[in-house]
Amino acid sequence: MAGISLTKRVKVAFGLFVLALALCLPQVSYAQSDVVTTYKDENGWQLRVNGEPYYMKGVVWGYTPRGQNYTYNLFGQSDDQIRKILDYDFGLMAEMGVNTIRTFTMIPPKWVTYIYEEHGIMSIINPLMGRYGYNINGKWVPFTDYSDPATREVLKRDMQVFVERYKDTKGVLMFAFGNESNYGLSWSSFEIENLPEGEQNTAKARYLYSLFEEVIAAGKAIAPNQPFTIVNGDLQYIDLIQELMPSLDVLGSNVYRGKSFTDLWAVAEEKLDLPVAFFEFGSDAFNARSFQEDQLNQALILKDQWEEMYQKSYGMGEEGNSIGAFIFEWRDEWWKYLQIEQLDIQNTNASWANQGYEFDWAPGQNNMNEEWFGIVALGPSNSEGVATARPRTAYYVMQQIFSKSPLELDRDGVDQLFAGINLELLDLKGEVGKLAAESAEDKRRLRLTGGRLEGEMVLRGNEARIDEEGDDALSFSDGQMAFLDFEFQPNDRTQGQMTVNILGNVANKQPLEFSYGDRGRPLSIQTNERTRVGGEIVVIEDVPVTFNDRERVEIYDFSATYEGELADVEAFYHTSRFHWGYEGDHWGLLRETTDIPGMDIWNAKAPQGLEITGKGDFKNLTFLIGPEVYWGANPKFMFKYDFRWANFDWTFIHSEDLARRDSGVDPTDTTVRQNRQTALTAEREFPNGIKLELGGIISAPEEIDETFDRIDRQGNVFLDEIENEDALGFRAKVTFPWQETYVKATHQGLVADAGTVHRTFGVMDPSRLPNSGDGNKQEIEAGMIVRFGDYMLMPRVLYRDNLVHANPTIFPSIEGGVLLPGTQPRDTDTDPFAVLGNREARSAELYLTYDPTGATQFYDWDNDWREDAKFAFNIGGTYTEYPTFTDSYLFFFEPIGQNVPFGTGFPAEDVWGVSSRIVMNPNPSARYIFDIMRGFEQASGNPGGKNDGTADYFEFHWSAEWNRKHFFSGYYKQDAFGPYDFFRQFNLQYSDQWQLDYSMLLGGSGVQFGSVQDEERATRVGIRAQYRALEEGDELFDVNGDYQFQTILYFTYQF
Amino acid sequence: MKSLGFMKMTKLNRDETRPAGIKLLFAAVLSVTALVLGGCSNGGERDADDGIPINAITLPTDVVLNLACEDVGVHPETCVLDDPENPFATTTIIEFNPNFPGLDNKFELFNSIPAGPSGAKARFYLWATALARRPSGENQFYTALALHELFDANSNVLDEDELIREQAKKAYRSLLDNFFGSVTVFECCPAASPDGEPVAFAIPLNELTADNLYRTDATGLRRLVPGDPINVLELLLEWGYSYQPASPPNFDDGVIVAGEF
Repeated sequence: MAGISLTKRVKVAFGLFVLALALCLPQVSYAQSDVVTTYKDENGWQLRVNGEPYYMKGVVWGYTPRGQNYTYNLFGQSDDQIRKILDYDFGLMAEMGVNTIRTFTMIPPKWVTYIYEEHGIMSIINPLMGRYGYNINGKWVPFTDYSDPATREVLKRDMQVFVERYKDTKGVLMFAFGNESNYGLSWSSFEIENLPEGEQNTAKARYLYSLFEEVIAAGKAIAPNQPFTIVNGDLQYIDLIQELMPSLDVLGSNVYRGKSFTDLWAVAEEKLDLPVAFFEFGSDAFNARSFQEDQLNQALILKDQWEEMYQKSYGMGEEGNSIGAFIFEWRDEWWKYLQIEQLDIQNTNASWANQGYEFDWAPGQNNMNEEWFGIVALGPSNSEGVATARPRTAYYVMQQIFSKSPLELDRDGVDQLFAGINLELLDLKGEVGKLAAESAEDKRRLRLTGGRLEGEMVLRGNEARIDEEGDDALSFSDGQMAFLDFEFQPNDRTQGQMTVNILGNVANKQPLEFSYGDRGRPLSIQTNERTRVGGEIVVIEDVPVTFNDRERVEIYDFSATYEGELADVEAFYHTSRFHWGYEGDHWGLLRETTDIPGMDIWNAKAPQGLEITGKGDFKNLTFLIGPEVYWGANPKFMFKYDFRWANFDWTFIHSEDLARRDSGVDPTDTTVRQNRQTALTAEREFPNGIKLELGGIISAPEEIDETFDRIDRQGNVFLDEIENEDALGFRAKVTFPWQETYVKATHQGLVADAGTVHRTFGVMDPSRLPNSGDGNKQEIEAGMIVRFGDYMLMPRVLYRDNLVHANPTIFPSIEGGVLLPGTQPRDTDTDPFAVLGNREARSAELYLTYDPTGATQFYDWDNDWREDAKFAFNIGGTYTEYPTFTDSYLFFFEPIGQNVPFGTGFPAEDVWGVSSRIVMNPNPSARYIFDIMRGFEQASGNPGGKNDGTADYFEFHWSAEWNRKHFFSGYYKQDAFGPYDFFRQFNLQYSDQWQLDYSMLLGGSGVQFGSVQDEERATRVGIRAQYRALEEGDELFDVNGDYQFQTILYFTYQF
Repeated sequence: MKSLGFMKMTKLNRDETRPAGIKLLFAAVLSVTALVLGGCSNGGERDADDGIPINAITLPTDVVLNLACEDVGVHPETCVLDDPENPFATTTIIEFNPNFPGLDNKFELFNSIPAGPSGAKARFYLWATALARRPSGENQFYTALALHELFDANSNVLDEDELIREQAKKAYRSLLDNFFGSVTVFECCPAASPDGEPVAFAIPLNELTADNLYRTDATGLRRLVPGDPINVLELLLEWGYSYQPASPPNFDDGVIVAGEF
């Protein structure tokens, strides 16, 4: 299967994961393998198993239930569950007559044998051999360089390990390597670049095929009982195959030429004289023109293709080199389009065009629908947690075709077999099956797909009440809520989902815990009441009024898509959305909004908006508009245009705020000024591996001519104004291939604020460099990633100066009728800019990472669930010198609905932090994760209060799970800020903070154990205890006394 | 499947195998270096010719107020911040902080402005600036009072300053409309307190406003509403307030009530 839309993550999954899984499997041999050979006489070629002719009637098999994606690990399930799934799928396959499968999943040997012995179906072992990147000596290389000696050595060694592991496994038919690897010759090297352009790819292909030959030759020495092949992309480089691969037994190829394979048979015979097997071919079952499922045309194409293959097989009087093939594919895969989103929806987006499929091809339009290639449709899970499959017309057609092997027939027999297929009847069968399945799923315009019930009971207390009331001081409350999930599909082009939340009681957990549902807490306000007393109107002030039963029902999230001819439209409301950092938004103007649980604490409903993505002639255009397109955004629209020019990839982005928000993202978070930003970026990777990014930005031009005051070194106060150049920013980044070294330089004028600074490893990056997207700076950052074996060392440095320093506090005064205005720290509301997170800094850090299983990368966002190393860790720290003080931060003061400055800034100070994360999987049923932090860091708003705004803290977090059923997690923090952002904003430090949480899963979640989805969808019961204490005598915020605590008993029931 | 992947990769290969473009790369690296060096040299200083020194600003002593906009000095208008004649436009007006009563605040500035008409214009700018920066009843009240002062200074028996009169009335009305429940705090009478410290007491600004409008003795200024004082009561009724004036000699027992009448 070509990697047409596979991202780096898929490449990781299909490449590294497969290898790592196989290498980690126990060394089990099944010493009863069949002897498989190829045979040729004047009638053509045959494959033979133990001497008997064997024609491969195959499918490409994969199993990914709805709601899952490429990370789904079937063989990480319990043996019982695996058995149920295999029996379901392979039972259906056996009924169809399938005798062989090819799969991207590396099936463990014992299950290869199980499939063979229970269902009579043999397997092709097909390592992808670096097709989508490979881990070379601990370093992930996205574009495998087959000319690199070290890469060749690693690949050769690993492939031999594969062969050794499977060679005696009963049920193995053949070894195959790669997957259209000839389409992925994307590496660069000086040696290659010095060749004329027309010869460069051929030179690369030589390295590829010569390596294939080495791998196969070595493999045959290990496994003499199985043939060896490759999975080539069509017949490209067939001359090189002929020249360089004398050991090849079978020509394996993925072919998408439409209903006929045209001259492929003759060319293969002439050039190679080898038997031919198609490892992929077929058709999707969605008609991009009529925009509906099209079972018949899929079946027609497959029928024509198989008829041609049967005619080209042994003894039919033609080339005789067809020995079988694998239909792409067995089941639909619902993750293919967006890969990590809308996994519960079968998208109808056509992602590429192929004129060979005439039934739905139209000029300038895509017609290949990635999520619709199955000859069985992907159904919902049944009561045993097995994803059901609904046979399409193609299944029934293939059932008739596979009832006979061409090796049992003569030419007339083949003609009769295909002439006897009653397509109308079989299509009717497929359509009836579809209707029955839809009926079974109760598919309506709007349908309830599931939901969950949550309940909790809370017992809480604090020192002040205990001192006052003794044993009666504990208070009890309870809460309940329900989530109902709906899907809707009003027509073929529109589909979506939404979740409705319904509150019962709301437990009182604040201030120890804020949580989703707090919107329904009773609200007390004071108001003035007017009443008439003795004929006079009297105002009674400050009368308390309490509102109960507030906001009991709300839409929790919503998303819908419309697929049009010229553009796709997506409406989103409180569903995860990602930044455009990988699409040229180097300035980070569109921020990522994926922390849905974090927003739920404050009942924030970001992101909200509408995205229109162009197609066809408009495919490079994206338009985004909404009241809050990312968390904290002002109402705005954004426009993005990508293009290629002068060998650079360019991206133009304009962002325009339409209004200013009237509240922050949480009760104290500030609103930001209405703003306008326009950015242009360019990037290019040179053949020598050096990557260059250039960018410019115009930000806040509306602030030009605004005035600000500043002070020079002599103490003179100046009134200055924003000039044109102060709205400009420039950025350049060079990344060298050697140890992934990068240097980044940035100049941003006083008001040239950008957005988020993207970090190398995203949200899991351990870096504490004080990155800031704000303007008023000149900055240089450099770093590298040094890999040695399973270790990775990441040194990084940052140096930043301000263009204008923060203002000190000099009180204004009047002497003799003369005003001495003094200065005050600026803030971002009343001044065009302020020195805050963008303050001067000199920072350096070093992190060491040990992770022996690269397939589950240590810094992946879901590594907590996926890390499979017995032991992996990182450790490191960051030291930052802040040589100057800051201006004043703001906070949002809800009673007046405005930002208010703290009034003073943070002092110059050196801060530091060290941390370590440790993951342990001592055995398959236990996992432990520890996070340890020690730091000396400033607050993020209030420079006053405890320790003058600086915390000298220690934190220890842990989580443990046993048998993927029992979970125990918690933390201990000493002298740290409280758990939510506003604690750090207001410098609220506590001497001790504890949390202990134990929970138990009750039954399966219906999804893969140990996954993120498993956490979210599990039915569970648990208990959580929290404790927070101030230092003895700490007078600040002591209304609850020196300590407070609560215990929460909770349960979640999924349905 | 094949088609797009093939085309994409072929295109990528073709593009990526062009000559290295060393000159361009070299230029980019040089640019980066220039940026870095530039960044290290400035040290937070603007050029010497940027901005104008404002170490000392002479306050106005005249009484001619040019209104920067129609509602200058009336909440929520903030155009006073852009008024080139405003000496306080760039000055941070520090509000009184009850947690830190000893810190300098706007009243220090207020008290430093010369009393009498020569300070009225400066007082207007001080309080109007404070109001624009921090909407509060106190800031609105003293803005109105300063306008009242200017009206008095510019008026005589034959010729009253109508423009400033209306501005002052708008400012007083804004207090009632926008900050009806606000108070200001006075300190008084240390001799009478047990510890000899001044005693703070709050005064409702709505009553103070009505008193200022109604009684010339309250301010020592010419009344904004010409004619009989009962005209003040009618004006207040027109604004939506009823006022029962204080009963001399007690001048703090007036009652003003908001509502529809």
